[in-house]
Order: sequence, then structure tokens, then C-alpha cells
Amino acid sequence: MHNDFVVTVENLSVLFGDFRAVDAVTFSVKRGEIFGFLGANGAGKTTTIRVLCGLLHPTKGEVSVGGIKFDTKDAEMAIKKKVGYMSQKFTLYNDLTIEENLTFIASLRKLDTKTYLKRRNYLLNFISFTRPLNSFIRSLPGGIKQQISLAASMLHEPEILFLDEPTAGVTPAMRARFWALINDLAHLGKTIIVTTHYMDEAEQCGRIALMRTGKIVAIDTPAGLKKTTFPDKFYEFEPRKTISYLDIQKLKICPEFEYFEPFGMRFHAAFKKSPEAEKFRQELNVDFNTKEIAPTLEDVFIKITEEKGV
Amino acid sequence: MISLPLLRGFFRKEFKQAVRDPRMKFVLFIAPIIQLILFGVAISADVKNIRLWAEPDSKDYVLRHIYEHSIASQWFLPAVDNRNIEPFELLRSGKIDAALISPPGGLNRALGRGTADLQLLIDATNVIQAQSVELYIKDITASVVAQDLKLQPQNPPINFSMRVLFNPYLQTAYFMVPGVMCMLMCIVSVVLTSMSITREKERGTFEMLISAPISATEVILGKTIPYVIISMCDMPLILAAAVFLFGVPLRGSLLILMLASLAFVCSTVAIGTLISTFAKNQQQAMLGGFLFLFPANMFSGLMFPLENMPMVMKWLSYLDPLSHYLALLRNIMLKGNEIHFIAFHIGVLILMAIGFVYISFKRFRTTLQ
Amino acid sequence: MSFVWSRAKAIAQKEIYHVIRDPFALALSIGLPIFLVIVFGFAIEFNVKNIHLAVHDADQTQASRGLIDIFGKSEYFIIDKVTSPEKAQQAIMSNNDRAALIIPGGFEKLLFTGKSSQVQLLLDGSDNSTVVPILSYLESIQKMANKQLANFNPSENIDIKTRFLFNAELNSRWFVIPGLTVAIMAILSVLLTALTVAQEWENGSMELLLSTPVQPLEVIVGKLVPYAFFCLVAVVFVYIISRTVFGIPFRGNIFVFGLGCVLFLVTCLVQGLLISILTRSQSLAYQIANMTGLLPAQLLSGFIFPVESMPKFFQYFTMLLPARWFMVIARESYLKGSTFFDLGIPFLALGTLCWFMIFFAVKKFKKDLEP
Repeated sequence: MHNDFVVTVENLSVLFGDFRAVDAVTFSVKRGEIFGFLGANGAGKTTTIRVLCGLLHPTKGEVSVGGIKFDTKDAEMAIKKKVGYMSQKFTLYNDLTIEENLTFIASLRKLDTKTYLKRRNYLLNFISFTRPLNSFIRSLPGGIKQQISLAASMLHEPEILFLDEPTAGVTPAMRARFWALINDLAHLGKTIIVTTHYMDEAEQCGRIALMRTGKIVAIDTPAGLKKTTFPDKFYEFEPRKTISYLDIQKLKICPEFEYFEPFGMRFHAAFKKSPEAEKFRQELNVDFNTKEIAPTLEDVFIKITEEKGV
Repeated sequence: MISLPLLRGFFRKEFKQAVRDPRMKFVLFIAPIIQLILFGVAISADVKNIRLWAEPDSKDYVLRHIYEHSIASQWFLPAVDNRNIEPFELLRSGKIDAALISPPGGLNRALGRGTADLQLLIDATNVIQAQSVELYIKDITASVVAQDLKLQPQNPPINFSMRVLFNPYLQTAYFMVPGVMCMLMCIVSVVLTSMSITREKERGTFEMLISAPISATEVILGKTIPYVIISMCDMPLILAAAVFLFGVPLRGSLLILMLASLAFVCSTVAIGTLISTFAKNQQQAMLGGFLFLFPANMFSGLMFPLENMPMVMKWLSYLDPLSHYLALLRNIMLKGNEIHFIAFHIGVLILMAIGFVYISFKRFRTTLQ
Repeated sequence: MSFVWSRAKAIAQKEIYHVIRDPFALALSIGLPIFLVIVFGFAIEFNVKNIHLAVHDADQTQASRGLIDIFGKSEYFIIDKVTSPEKAQQAIMSNNDRAALIIPGGFEKLLFTGKSSQVQLLLDGSDNSTVVPILSYLESIQKMANKQLANFNPSENIDIKTRFLFNAELNSRWFVIPGLTVAIMAILSVLLTALTVAQEWENGSMELLLSTPVQPLEVIVGKLVPYAFFCLVAVVFVYIISRTVFGIPFRGNIFVFGLGCVLFLVTCLVQGLLISILTRSQSLAYQIANMTGLLPAQLLSGFIFPVESMPKFFQYFTMLLPARWFMVIARESYLKGSTFFDLGIPFLALGTLCWFMIFFAVKKFKKDLEP
């Protein structure tokens, strides 16, 4: 069961006039996966998600969601039935209460009252929601709004959930809470496709696709990405005493580095495979505390985007 | 194909949102009443308060009588005494509207010699006013001649006995108030409907709507029918004000009037929906609504008589739902139930409603393209 | 706090870009005046002609036919023969005819015996715009009928010789078009500023602007100048059309008229700005602009319905409307050739209203800037 693909995308392109928002993208998502899209704004993440939700028609390529091929208007409706979508812009009605928002969405999804109430109570319980239901959405703090939005997107029990930057503008504590919920959902067998530009969230995904200017530049598990990008040892250097900006610039251009990037007060580096580079690394021990670490996804992202050019 | 529980859910949402918006209550209930009273009382096509001049200190008692009768008729106001200025100059500088100038020697002397010429200068900037002034003066002069001079007017052999039907005293309100009613009924339906749809697009809730498997029909009906009902709530208020405050009669059947109003509201809500398919944000929706309302008011028959327009313009007025509704209002309230007429105009309104909704449907996308 | 022109100019430039890039606003500011002037120039005719007259002739004699002929040969009436008086009333009921002429049997006989003969005329009172002209036509037709059919030509004891000044041919267009200029300007300027500026409040860019060293007066000038420009273009355009296409005379002083235009425009623009400052929301701005700008400009300014006909209270009330004063200036400049002194009161009123508007706008802006 874990080997069937709930989403397959082959050579998907989405063009708005001359602008290629999504450029020949190919990937698949397995059932029960937490699949992440990582990339800057405008990279094409949201556009891709919108196609998979049935909100945009592909310009070119083949898309299949939940076993339905996205080629006709009927397919669009069938896909919408199967997926849940939480968009970037927060999309519940501010001037309605929580209860009213949820009943409206239930009617949009054509649920009968009994089913709706059962599911609603279950979901509110699931997100540990304890506030009164007749509070207005606009009176809720940001993190709670996102949780309600998540519950709302699940009222019709979709197998596949698309969450577009679900934790934007939310406190770190709330973000952690939210991701705990996402993991719970995955355990229940739901497939979750998420977009984010938080690296720490991306670490929690099963697999990630890195997007840049409409293309997927890398796609793998976080560990896999790190291994392929930095196959050799990876280090963190902490200066023993404060060093100036000029010194860092001088270091940066040293040819022995395969990769060099400041990280706050420290810097991360990988070295070329040569005796000179090894010697150079040893010399750095004089001024720096050296530690071998696993690369972060941020390092991966910076390296890959550098390689592929700006 | 259309899910009723879905529509019910839509209605509930739209109503709750409408009722909670304090501005909506103002727009729906208070503003129309204020405007109806304001315009119903203020505007009038009656010609009165005309500043009339006749030579002061004249020994011409006929002229004096005519002048005094004119002022007494309450259509005219006495001109402020401007002794040294020519009447023509007074007219030109806008200090008077009309002037009576007797022949040299005075009317009394001229009458003794036969027919007397009384010159009447009228500022004809306002055409209808000018014609009415001429009529009034002729009338007053004739009665002065008969009563004061005891010159019996010979009874003309052919006598026109005139009866004005439906509005025997030519009360302006009967004519104007339906026009204002018409204007008010459509402001709400056109502008609020178009703004409500574009507001969802602006806020992003539209995206949420179409992420659910609902058809274009369901969205359009779900968005428009609540506004038809909301607009119709205004109708009893406006009608009550017209009947009880202004005394406009309701000679036809109330039910038919309601039906006519329903047809009208459907057509204007449909236009509001159509505008929202073009507008990308609320501001454009409002401007679009205005672009429609301003010419529509002009072609409705409230301000300008439609009969005289060239063929092309007449066709434009046939396309204007306001002209049909105004004709219906005037007919039903002042004349009664004239079935063929009413059925025709209601039919046109319904056709328009269907037509505009159909075009909106064709333009509507359940995707974000 | 000094007024810096370069800052105002920068704001003005930005505003021009906004308007040019917005198709709806552009359509409104250029298309609407053009459309309206052309359409209404050709559409307006207050002197109703081609009035459908239902005729029932119970007499069927030479005299009765002669009478019907007089009606038919006048350019005012179109004869629709009906078979009974009831049908005539029915025709009016169903809006097929606006009036009915009912000639009783024995019409000719009565005439020949020298007695008074009566015919009945029914008029549709549901439409005042036709009744009043019809009444004046009937007066002259009655005279003609008496003269032609009964040789009755009484010497008028007093013959009223009417001279219609400034619009001798009673051309409705001469009345409407100058007024249309005023109405369009009022509507355009109030609406444009209220909406576009309200949008800036709504999306927060106005606050951004006010957080800079810019002065309230600079914002006002900078924001309004582009709209003033568009409106003036519209005015010039309307003027050209009214003079060349419709042949409306302009007897006044173009500079006086121009001054009036500018004053009026500034007042309306500031009014729109004031509305947007006070409401800060587009939908509310529209409602208020509608109630205080559009509708009064159309209905209370004297455009169609004369101010003199209003109840006393409203005559005083309309003194607060800039449109009412500019309407006087516009009409009299076109048709009467009034000088600046003749228009002293309207200019004074307009100037005062203008000053008050600006004063309030600046004051409100200043208040908002206070921390």
C-alpha cells in the first residue's frame, strides 16, 4: 500500500502569457508521505500546488491526482472532491464565527448535518481546540486561525492535503504545534504536500523538492540531499576570538574551499579533495574551534542554487 | 445539478455578513428613505417662483392689475425694485426671469383704441419654464380682461373640455416619486452585488470557494439570490414612504407591483454580477456600477422624456431596465392593472435577467486562470 | 511648515501613473463625458412631438374631420383612430396613446346653429413631461380650430407679444448641454478622488505617505492636480462639441467661465478627498460620494429641475451645493453673456464653499498626522 502513487506529475508546465511559472516539472508523491516544496517566493511552488488542487489547468504535461487524470472539467471537479486545500492567504471569513465558517464549508462540500457535526467535533478535538465556537475569526490569534483553517480543509475527509505555507506569520511555538498535527495526520495515512520556506520545517518532510524559477532543481529525502550535495566531510568553524568582516571576505575567496558560508557568528565549510586543502583545514585550527557536523538544508539549498546559477 | 443545501448555506452566510455590516443597514434602510424624502420633496417640474417685473409707479392700471394678479397666483414673485435699470438688462444679469412691458401710453389708452400689445420678455434659458410662463401670463391676462375690464370674452364655438386622467391636479410627486423609487431600488442591487463578489476575490475567500467541487451555476446563484432578497426588503419601505408620505396612489394590485419589483431587482442584480466578472477589485466594481447607473438613470425617463429621442436612443432606453421599471411603476401605481402592458415589461425584465446571468455564467471560471 | 513644490509634483506624477494604468478610471474620466454629451445632445428634446392621440369621431361630418385634420397636420400629434370612447380610454390606460380626442355626435350641427360645441380631450396625467407641452399646444390648436372651422376670430383685447430671450428657438439642447458639463464635472471629480484615494487608505499606502515629511497641503495639491487635469480636458472637450456639433452659442467671457470651472473643480475634488479622508473605505466613500455628490448634482443643482421650483427650505439648502452655483455661472456664460459682476453672488458663494472645503480637508489631515 505504501508504494502506490497518489500524485504523479510529468513534464508539467504552466504559462501565464509568456511567463513560465512552472517549467517542465516531473515528480510523484507516495501515499502517506509528507512531501515538501522548498523555494523562494515566485519559484513556482504555489502555482504547482494550485494545479494539483484543480484550481489551475496545466498548460502542458500530464497530471494525475488521486488516480484521476486532470484533463477535463469533470476531472477538475472529481479532483476537488478528493483533496483538501489550505491556501497562503488566510481564507476564512473574518466577519463570521468559527461555527458559521465551518457550517458554510460543510454546505460547500455538500455534507449532511449529522456527518458534519461528527467530523467537526472530531477535528476540533484533534487540534485540541477549546475556545467557544461562537467567537469571531477576526478575534483569534494567527496560529489558532491556521489550525481552524486546517480543520476546515479536512471536513470532507480528503485523502490528500495541500498546505500552502501553512505557518506563515505564526509564532515558533505554534509552528511546532502545527507540525505535530501534520505528523499525526501522516500517521493516520493521509498524504500531505506542503510548501514552506522554513528550513527547519523542510527537515521534517519525508522528501523535499527544491524549486527555483519554475524548475525543480533537486528532489530527495533531506538526508539524501545532504549526502549528494556534500558527499565528503562537512565542518563548522567557530572563531576563538572576534574576527573582522574583512578577514571573512579574505577567507571566502580561498581556493581550498568547496563551499563556504557564514552562519551567524560561525561558518560552515566543505573542502576540496586535495592535500593542500587538507593542510589548509588543519591550519584553521589555530584560529577556530573546528567541529565535524552534518550539513543543514540551508547549506544544501545555497550550494545547489549557486551551482545552478542565479 | 444544483444542490439546495449548498444554496441554503450560501444564503445563510451572505445574510449574516450583510446584517452584521453596520454600513449595510445604513445603505439599505436609512439612505433610501433620506434620499426619497429629499428628492421627492425637493425636485419638482412645476414652474413657480418666477421673478416678474413690470414698470413701477406706472399709471397704467391694467398693467398693474395684471401684475398684481400674477403675484397673487403664487406662480410669480415680485422683482426687487430696480428703478434705473432697463428690464432687458435685469434679465440679462439674471435678476429677473420675466418682464411685462406695456405699449407707450399704457394699456388702458391702447385698449381704448382697439387691440393693445403687451410685450412679454422671458428668459428662455430654461425651455419648459419659459413656455409655462407664457401660458400663465396669457391665462392671467385673459381673466383680468374678463373680470376687471368686464369685457366679456365671446364664447368660442369650439370648446375643448380637458380632463387630465390619473393625476388631475398635476401633482409633481405622482410623476417624480416613482422615478426616485426606481433610482433607489437599483443602487443597492447593482453596486452591492458586484462589490460582494469582487470582495471575495480581493480577500482570497474566492479561492477557498472554488477549491470545493461546486459548479459555476451554484456559485452565481448562491451569490445573487441573497442580494435579490435583500434588495426586495427595501421595496416595502420605499413604497410605504411613497404612498404615505407623498400620497402617491396605488391603484393597481400590490402583488403585481411586487412581482414587477422582483423582476427588476433580478435584472439589476444580474447586471451587478456581470460587472463583477469584469472587475478585478472592489474599486473597479464600484466604478463599473457607476458607469452603468449614470447613463441608465438618464435613459430611464425620469429626467428627459423618452418619446422624443431619436430611434437609436430609444433602442438604448429599451435596453435599460430602469426605463421598463419606471414605466411599470407609473402604470401600476397611477393607472391600475393593465395586463398586456405589465406582462410585456415584466417579461422584458425577466429576459434581461436571464440574459445577463447567462453571460456572467459564460465568463465565470471555477479556476484561477 | 513650508510648502515644497517638488514633493507635490512627485505625488502628482505618481497619481497620473495610477490613473493611466487603470482602465476603468480612464474609461470613466474620458469616455463618460464624451458619451454623455453626444448622446444627450442628440437625445434631448423637451418639446414633445409625435404624441399619439387616440381619436373617436362619433359625428363623422366634414367639420369633425376638419378638426381631426388640424390635429393631424400639426407636427405634434399622430392620429390613431379608435372605435369607441371606451377604447380611447383603454388606449391611454395601456400607454398606447398619450391623449384622446372624443368628438360627440352632433358636433357639426351645433356649430352651424351657432351654439357652443364641446369636444372632450383626455390627457395621460401619469407623465408630466408630456402633459404640460400638450396643454400649450391645445391652446393654439383650439384657436386655430375656431378660426378655420367656425370663422371665429375674436380680436384679442390684449395681445401678448412674447419674446424669448437668450434662446429664441426654445432649443432644449441650449438648456441641457451647459448643465450637463456641470453635472459631469461634479460627478467625475467627486467620484474619482473619493474612490482612488480611499483605496490608498484601505491598502495602507496613504499612511506610508503621511509618515514622510510631506505636508498635508502638498498631498492635497499633488493628489488632485492630475484629476483636475483630466476633468479640465473633459470640460474643454465638451465645450468644443457643444460649440461645433450642436452650435450652442457662447456669449460670455471665456476667462470668467474658466475661472468658474477651476473654482468648481477644486471644490469638487477637495470634496472627494474629504470624503475619502473621513471614510477611509471604498464602499462607504462610494455611498457618501453618491449621496452628497452625484445625486445632488443631478437632481438638486438646477440641472433639470429648477431650483426656483423647490420648497423654500430646499432653496436655502442648495446654497450649500457648489454645483448649484456653477450651474448658474455655466448657463449664463453660454447663453446670456453675463459678466463677472453679474455673476458676483455665484462666484462669492462658490469661492466661499471652496475655501471651506480646503480648510476642512487640511485640518482633518493635520489631525490624523498628530501622534
